[in-house]
Amino acid sequence: MSKIWLFIDRRLNLSPLLREMADHRIPDHANPLKKASAFMYCFGGISFLILLLQLLTGMFLMLYYVPSPDHAYASVSYIKNEVAFGALTQNLHRVGASAAVVMVFLHMLRVYFTKSYKNPRELNWIAGVLLLLVVLGFGFTGYLLPWDQKAYWATTVGVNIIETVPWLGGFIADMLRGGDEVGALTLTRFFVIHVMFLPALLLCLLAAHFFMVRRQGISHPL
Amino acid sequence: MQAGEETTKQPRRAFLAGGIKAIAALFGLGLGVPLALFSFSPARQKDRPEEWIPIADFASLNDHRPTKVTYAYTRQDGWMKTETRRMAFILKKDDGGITVLSNRCTHLGCGVDWDATANQFKCPCHGGIFDLEGKILEGPPPKSLARFTAKVEDGRVFIREGQA
Repeated sequence: MSKIWLFIDRRLNLSPLLREMADHRIPDHANPLKKASAFMYCFGGISFLILLLQLLTGMFLMLYYVPSPDHAYASVSYIKNEVAFGALTQNLHRVGASAAVVMVFLHMLRVYFTKSYKNPRELNWIAGVLLLLVVLGFGFTGYLLPWDQKAYWATTVGVNIIETVPWLGGFIADMLRGGDEVGALTLTRFFVIHVMFLPALLLCLLAAHFFMVRRQGISHPL
Repeated sequence: MQAGEETTKQPRRAFLAGGIKAIAALFGLGLGVPLALFSFSPARQKDRPEEWIPIADFASLNDHRPTKVTYAYTRQDGWMKTETRRMAFILKKDDGGITVLSNRCTHLGCGVDWDATANQFKCPCHGGIFDLEGKILEGPPPKSLARFTAKVEDGRVFIREGQA
């Protein structure tokens, strides 16, 4: 293993890059070993870990899931009842979704109460708010995919709420549904938004978020 | 690699690095094993429901030559139930028993047909030839035609989906 690494490193000189990424000082006020309440500074990392878990379990669920009204429910129940570890994988993804929202929100509260969003970190706060919206978008689109009664009516209600947005509401709702009713087109749209558009957006925003936090360092409480 | 030199000199650092690796391995195995089994699961499931599928009336079978039958049954295809039509050849044996042969050529899966004049099964794709019992005579097929587990009950011929 180290021989392979040496082979690559001699040619590409990656170790300074890795060192730069991995070796950085954690300030004492953010180090749980120095100060117990600093565990709050882990919320962002935990959110990232959960998002990775969602990405992984989601990829595997797609092996069996079919985004069509005829087959969506049957394929989900196949995953849950027939496939080995299917219930585990599906539940990890389902519970992970809630956990992601909770952790992202706690992370935001920590940033808010330590006033970490202030100058010069306003841009990273904005990236963070966009990430929150993306995570909520994941939750909203993912909720429809099992195509059971709860999924169907939750989406019907959710899109009707969007419809109440002044001026643009009707347009946005029709775009989301692919028509004026939740149906086959809605399911494929939500599926593709859930597995393609949002992950692309998520990865871009995460890259920006992480770049900024490393560039600017962890904030000191004011 | 400089980090490697440091870890050998500093036991605490080496311990922490080892700990991180152990935790990563725990996560990796805890997720990797279930997800791998999740992926392989349908391919590994050999215990299909063993149902007898009726394919013909015994009285309608020909003597001394195979009877080609088309039968339909509901096949469990992953999360989908599909109405599947298949073909088979039924051969009456002298002792009153039967042999049911699959019509799938063992070469590349084309449907073989009975040539009454030559008294042979012939595959139209690459010239595979089998005898009355389904034994390979000529051509590229690697083995004889597959036989189904079959039985006759109440004057009807039944087979199982899995080939014997």
